[in-house]
Amino acid sequence: MTSGGLEAGAQRIPGVTVKKIEKEVYEIFIGPQHPGSGHMRIIVRLDGDIIVEADPDIGYVHRTMEKLSEVREWLKPIPLLERMTIIDACNVTLPYVNALEKLMDKTPSTRASYLRVLLCEINRVASHLYGMGIFGVFIGHSTMYMWAFGDREVFVELAEVLTGARLTHTYPIPGGVRRDMPQDLPEMARRTVRYMRGRLEEYRKIFVDNPVIVKRLAGVGVISKSRAIELGVVGPNLRASGVKYDVRIAEPYEVYGELDFEIPVFEEGDALARTWVRVEEIKQSLNIIEQAVNWLETHKGEPVIAKEDFDKLPKLHKEVYEKEGRVKLVPAHATMKIPAGKAVARGEMGRGEIFYYVESDGGTTPYRVRVVTPSARNAIVFKHIVPGHTLMDLPAIYGSIDYFPPESDR
Amino acid sequence: MVLDLILYIIAYPPLWQVLILGFAGSLAIAMVAIWFERKAAARVQRRIGPYWASPALGGFLNIIADMVRYVLQQLIIPGTVDRLVFYFAPIAAFTISILPVIFIPLSPKPEFWPVATMDYSLLIALALSTLPPLLVIAAGWSSNNKFAVIGSMRESYVITAYELVAVVSILSASASLLTFNLVYIVEAQQPFKWLAILNPIAFLAAILAVLMSTSAFPFEIPESEHEVVAGPFTEYSGALYAFNMGGAYVRRFVYALLIALVFLGGWAPYVPGPGPITGYIIPSLIVVFKAVIVVLFISFLRAVYGRYRLDQALGAAWRLAIPLAIIGFGWSLFLAYIGVFH
Repeated sequence: MTSGGLEAGAQRIPGVTVKKIEKEVYEIFIGPQHPGSGHMRIIVRLDGDIIVEADPDIGYVHRTMEKLSEVREWLKPIPLLERMTIIDACNVTLPYVNALEKLMDKTPSTRASYLRVLLCEINRVASHLYGMGIFGVFIGHSTMYMWAFGDREVFVELAEVLTGARLTHTYPIPGGVRRDMPQDLPEMARRTVRYMRGRLEEYRKIFVDNPVIVKRLAGVGVISKSRAIELGVVGPNLRASGVKYDVRIAEPYEVYGELDFEIPVFEEGDALARTWVRVEEIKQSLNIIEQAVNWLETHKGEPVIAKEDFDKLPKLHKEVYEKEGRVKLVPAHATMKIPAGKAVARGEMGRGEIFYYVESDGGTTPYRVRVVTPSARNAIVFKHIVPGHTLMDLPAIYGSIDYFPPESDR
Repeated sequence: MVLDLILYIIAYPPLWQVLILGFAGSLAIAMVAIWFERKAAARVQRRIGPYWASPALGGFLNIIADMVRYVLQQLIIPGTVDRLVFYFAPIAAFTISILPVIFIPLSPKPEFWPVATMDYSLLIALALSTLPPLLVIAAGWSSNNKFAVIGSMRESYVITAYELVAVVSILSASASLLTFNLVYIVEAQQPFKWLAILNPIAFLAAILAVLMSTSAFPFEIPESEHEVVAGPFTEYSGALYAFNMGGAYVRRFVYALLIALVFLGGWAPYVPGPGPITGYIIPSLIVVFKAVIVVLFISFLRAVYGRYRLDQALGAAWRLAIPLAIIGFGWSLFLAYIGVFH
């Protein structure tokens, strides 16, 4: 990216910025092999202990998700796209499925919608816990790391009971979900919710209200309201800056419109506020999980895929569904054709808004799939918010925006 | 004649104190501290911690296995380092970390601990225990690595901040007792006139200084992993790395011994009697027990706190710890003036 020896303007290489380094500036390359970098590199220029410039150098885990989607039959990008954010698998694929449903003009059954929302919220809690754990260890709090990762396991197991897979659920499919919930899930979910509420109180005591942590985070990495909007920051980071924006409220999808929950908003815009937003969002997600399992328990009988699809199933497959609650799709489903057209869909992931643009030319594979992930939009924070802070603030800001390189790089 | 001289040198008690009590003892305590740190942190974090190396001992042998691994590990020396300093610094730092043990009496009886009855034992022990950070800076500087240099710079900032606190707060004992002799300092605190009770301000300042000087949480700043990898030790591997990390634990133990003697009354309230058991073994076990409590308390903080930012830690030192140490020193003078100990 930078080569110090070149005179400005001496040689221009397309796409490469050539910069002369100031003499007093100390340039360090944090990443890609560094305990505090993740799958990325941050080129930091220091003047003393103050960061004068931070260059997020992303793309180390680019896997050509969009291109790969174009050569797979319509259903197959779902397990592929999950790999962007494996810890938030339902949230990251749901808008793709929604876009397909728009193209196919298919409405999922209400039961399927509730199941999707249930899994989305389980994922959201797990994703926030993951982020808080990494954040904790970034600022030296190993207890928060271990607690968050241990408690995340509870939600991962809940998701496993629901879908059969710990992380790569591949749960939503056009028109519904892959399988119905087991009989004992509601009780397990309620126990999990009770447990997590108790744990959040302990998190507050040891981490969020810990004097050292508060000192470390308060007033660090402040993104003001206007700045957040200008930079296009999304998700909890945006809401920590005082903007009440959440796709679940702004443009309700699935059954979010019928559920009762709040969007926590904080005004400070600093790292501490971003942590609080996550804690409060976990509480709201727990409420949603409770509401969803209550509804699912009292409204039985509806199939978990669209009515027209269910009626077309052969007798054997219907028997499997009756017995195991598992949807066995006919092979034709994999090679289905989707009418030509364009569709967009968005959703709220744990880290913010995800956007899909799906175009069909009437064939068996997508013509174009465009994904904009929340981390890709949050990466800009490194460039614009980090300068002016000390080097030790870098992990605090990194952790607080919960940046996840595989999601950003796609 | 020559044989006698060799025997005299080998049998010279201070040598044995260095080898057995100093080296092996400090190492054993350092291992216990590391084991406790891992085990206690694991308990708080709802894990098990070291276990399978020896389930009956709670995984204690895991620490020994780690040390064996460090020693047998390939020593990778980058081509760009300043080799002499790179080798010399960690070894010297570790050695100097252990040296103060000679001057710290675990027993008041001169026949068991001849060196320590000298009149300046506290001053010398304190002076020696403040040396190793300089070698840590040298280690980082010789590594010729940007992260190591930043870590060294941080270490140097931290030294200038805490050194004064450590010296002033621990020397406040001398101000009230009018002596640098650790044996007299302990004897004056018999049976329960412990300075930690009479002068809690200096005690608090001393604990803060030890936390900062041995890079314990919440002041683990020079080696802060997520910005500077391993700080001054980034380029070190194998046995040299073990020396670097072990040196910090040994230093923590030496400081804890000093605090046990100066603030926690040493072997008080026990009055050493004649003979090796009542005159040497029991008092030294009491002192080591108190020191281990201090070490374990310091180790336990890892599970509770994150780390402060560099400027916040320095601010805490200059704005809080140094005034505290000076107030503690003043309070010591007041104690001497009203004659608590006489």
